[in-house]
Amino acid sequence: MKRLISLLTLLAVLIPSVAFAAEAPEEQEQKESLDVKEVIFHHLGDGYGWEVPFSHVYRIPLPVIVKAEDGKWFCFSSAKLTEVTVTEDPATKEKHEELTPVIHEVEKDGKTYRFYLAHVSEHKNKVVEIFPLTAAEQAEVNAEAIRIHSEKGGDAHHVVVPGFVLVGHEYYKEYRPFDISITKNVLALIIASILVTLMVMSVARYYARKGMRAPRKGMGFIEMLIDFIYTGVIKSSLGAKADKFAPYLLTCFFFILTMNLLGLIVIFPGGANLTGNIAITLVLAVLTFIVTNVLGSKHYWKDIFWPDVPMFLKCPLPIMQVIEIFGLFTKPAALCVRLFANMMGGHMIVITLILLIFIFAAFGTAALGTSVVVSVAFTIFMLLLDVLVSFIQAYVFTLLSALFISAAQEGGHHEETHEEEAKNDASAEVAPTAEVK
Amino acid sequence: MELFTPDLGLVFWMFIAFAILFIVLAKWGWPVILKNMNERAETIDKGVEYAQQAKHQLDHAREEAQKYMEEAQAKQAEMLRDAAKMKTQIIEEAKAQAGVEAQKVMDAAKVSIEQSRKEAELQFKNEVSKFSIEIAEKMLRSQMKNDEAQVKLVDKLLDEIENN
Repeated sequence: MKRLISLLTLLAVLIPSVAFAAEAPEEQEQKESLDVKEVIFHHLGDGYGWEVPFSHVYRIPLPVIVKAEDGKWFCFSSAKLTEVTVTEDPATKEKHEELTPVIHEVEKDGKTYRFYLAHVSEHKNKVVEIFPLTAAEQAEVNAEAIRIHSEKGGDAHHVVVPGFVLVGHEYYKEYRPFDISITKNVLALIIASILVTLMVMSVARYYARKGMRAPRKGMGFIEMLIDFIYTGVIKSSLGAKADKFAPYLLTCFFFILTMNLLGLIVIFPGGANLTGNIAITLVLAVLTFIVTNVLGSKHYWKDIFWPDVPMFLKCPLPIMQVIEIFGLFTKPAALCVRLFANMMGGHMIVITLILLIFIFAAFGTAALGTSVVVSVAFTIFMLLLDVLVSFIQAYVFTLLSALFISAAQEGGHHEETHEEEAKNDASAEVAPTAEVK
Repeated sequence: MELFTPDLGLVFWMFIAFAILFIVLAKWGWPVILKNMNERAETIDKGVEYAQQAKHQLDHAREEAQKYMEEAQAKQAEMLRDAAKMKTQIIEEAKAQAGVEAQKVMDAAKVSIEQSRKEAELQFKNEVSKFSIEIAEKMLRSQMKNDEAQVKLVDKLLDEIENN
């Protein structure tokens, strides 16, 4: 560790001095300023293709599945929405590749459908169905664009007009179709599901093959995790009902953990910011909400609508009821936001640290050299921290879900024992009379 | 904000992916694993318990063997003592029996000796009386050779009878 630190310090001192010596005499003018927000959001968000390493242009095409405005379904490759244009700089002969969106036209039943990857629109980076406008309408939308521009300012050539999308220099009417495309996130989801299935089934199959023998190495680690969650979280909070809820909670834990860790891998099988996407955490939180409340006991519901508190708190004005019902929804909402914010925050910090290099690059080579070393060191630290956070967040989600579920079960448990006691009393009372008869 | 609005398509796929994953794992994955893990834990617990018992027994085996040996020795000594006792008893008994038998034989001998003595005495008496009669006869004959002597005797006898 000491050696590592000294090495890094040495690099931090050396690189700038070397860079000073090698500084180019002519300053290259930056063609476009770095849009930090754009880059961060691109990395955190979803996409219709999956970037391959070392290229911003070429992507693994994925199927786009959309339902057009008139209810027809369309499925096509995401590669058809973009085009790689190669421009050559006349001065330096340097080739510059750029990814530009194109209109994808489909003929179906004698009608032409047009799809476009919106950029200047309310549905940025989403597939929209577009309809050409007449000249009169075009003029109207342009006037609207000028009006909006005068109000809000910004880039005069890229004004977002609600309901319309800018294609080249013309506006088209847009319709956001019902979109169940296999996007980058969906594919990552499928990969994560397959990984979890393989992991769990490998352990299950191992038992079928080897019986009682304990699995080793990787499988042993998975088993250790299962045991950690099962005995440490599920059994300790749910007790006798552990086996009923164990499949759901274990699936949650392993799915979240796999998605978290996959998100930290930069290239293909990983790299999708899944658990940092609110749609994913929302579904997980809603599922916990459903499991908690649908399987909740009578006692749990009684505590919500008629809690054991002084009468003035619940009768004329239902203060407690309102608080309890509010609490019903805040619990899963907290689950959803906690996981989302933690994972997204981690990703955002890593991306920002890397972006620092490009930001400092504008201040000269010395700043670039220093920022490379510092940023990379911090990025590695952050990524290691994120590995820990991945595990902690999966654990916390499972732990809190287990606690919410057990809170909805516990009352019922007592009630059941009471009922059993009552039944036993009743049968004890019945028995003597039966003897008398 | 794009980041904070859930995308419906992703929600849809997430729901489906989770549902399929849950169904597959809840049917073929978790129950098998949990059952096996619990069984193995129980088996290990039992094994440990068994091993502890075995160790306990092993620790006490020497003591137990000693105990058995001592018991056996005590038993052996007792048996030896019993045997010695029995031997002396048998000898005593045999001696007593022999004494009784000897006494019996001696008594019988005494009786037979007495009897033979009596018989001999009787025979001797008979012999003596026979001899005395013969002697008396011979004497009588010699005395009674003349008539006078005879008459004298008859007179004497007659006197005796008369006196009686």
